[in-house]
Amino acid sequence: MKKMFIDIDYGFTPKFGQIVCGDVFLSEKIKNENRLIAVLSDGLGSGIKANILANMTATMALNFTINDQPIERSAASIRDTLPVDPQRKIAFASFTIVDTEFDGQTRIIEYGNPQFLVFRKDKLLTIDHQFLADGEVSITEFQTQIEDRIVLFSDGVSQSGIGRKDMPFGWETDQMGGVISQIIEKDSGISAYELRKRIIGQSILNDIGKPSDDITCAVLYFRNPRKLLVCTGPPYSKNKDEEMAATIRDFEGRTVLCGGTTALIVAREWGEEIEVDMKHFTSDIPPISYIKGVSLVTEGILTLCKAAELLKHGNYEDVDRHDPARLVIQELLSHDHIDFLVGTKINEAHQDPSLPVELEIRRNVIKKIAYLLEKKYLKEATLKYI
Amino acid sequence: MKKHTVVICTGTLCHVLGGSELPSLGQSLPEAWRDLVNIKGSPCMGYCKDGAMQPPFVEVNGELIQEASVSKVLDCLEKHIAHGTKEK
Repeated sequence: MKKMFIDIDYGFTPKFGQIVCGDVFLSEKIKNENRLIAVLSDGLGSGIKANILANMTATMALNFTINDQPIERSAASIRDTLPVDPQRKIAFASFTIVDTEFDGQTRIIEYGNPQFLVFRKDKLLTIDHQFLADGEVSITEFQTQIEDRIVLFSDGVSQSGIGRKDMPFGWETDQMGGVISQIIEKDSGISAYELRKRIIGQSILNDIGKPSDDITCAVLYFRNPRKLLVCTGPPYSKNKDEEMAATIRDFEGRTVLCGGTTALIVAREWGEEIEVDMKHFTSDIPPISYIKGVSLVTEGILTLCKAAELLKHGNYEDVDRHDPARLVIQELLSHDHIDFLVGTKINEAHQDPSLPVELEIRRNVIKKIAYLLEKKYLKEATLKYI
Repeated sequence: MKKHTVVICTGTLCHVLGGSELPSLGQSLPEAWRDLVNIKGSPCMGYCKDGAMQPPFVEVNGELIQEASVSKVLDCLEKHIAHGTKEK
């Protein structure tokens, strides 16, 4: 069986008026077992209390699953551990656990959450659910294929719009499945990030801008790995310039160049013009440029540092749509394997200690970004120095 | 009619040393000049490699301005427009 890449992304919006979301999504890739485990948990109620319940549940569920504990025991342990709500006298947080191997063998365990959806290309699949003896926990096993998508969501999504005249029972599964099918039909390669954004956007719309519950959606998209090359910094020795330019030209996939000098080298080697975009700019980092044959050209260290910060805090959607750092992040997050080609020449002009801002060393920033991509965004990153 | 050409360096060093406002030069141009001036950017003009010169750098019709600011560039442009110097 061919190894697939799982593109995974999730997003959430707290209930209107809350600052913390009561749903928690955790995931972990276990490289040496070729396995990915993801957990979505929805805590009772909303706000901080719900978030703590959900966090405890998700963490336990994730670790029990990683250690191959039988599900009956895990579920019992989770229920015994959760603090009891003093008003409702119950301890409750629902969960969905996805345990999948990179060859597609998938097991999904559900307790209390709305049922997950599986799409094969743009068709919604019907899958049998088997319930455990207690009648509450269900286990589903199936084989995924390339171009399958698993959509997990909290009840904030399926109940969005509830009580509205045109959707009295909220966003029902049939309706929702139809909408998602249409989205995939229109854009067959839509990334996990884009798809979950569309689903969450629609849920918020259903609630007319004021979510009546925490809304969380996660998408797992099984696909052939997409490759991206990020090239930054001039090579240590000038006679490697040609090699760097050739690597970018011959790369199968999209390419990003970060660095003014780097861009000049590539343009010179290729005999192409560089045009700087003077229409869109932000005040904290320099504008992007265009070179024929390169997907994105930005300034180097300032843009990368900003991108690293935004990736770390996950708030890249708050910045302007044309912000170069956001454009870099969009490229990074819509790909699976990211190769970094890092030039190691030190820019003497940046070494002046009297400079007003800290200009970090390129290699360190790239290492930070690669680490975040692997740990937080579950991508695969390779670093090569030139 | 040939236009006056302004080239703004958008390199890292020029940006951190006071050049961050320069790309918005177009917005500060007087209405009457808009058709006379062509504003371009450069990823790095390379002057920063020479330690003796002070960034940020802007070129107006090939004339280099050091420690450039929006007002300095406008002054220089005014001179060029008044003398009718056109792009070579």
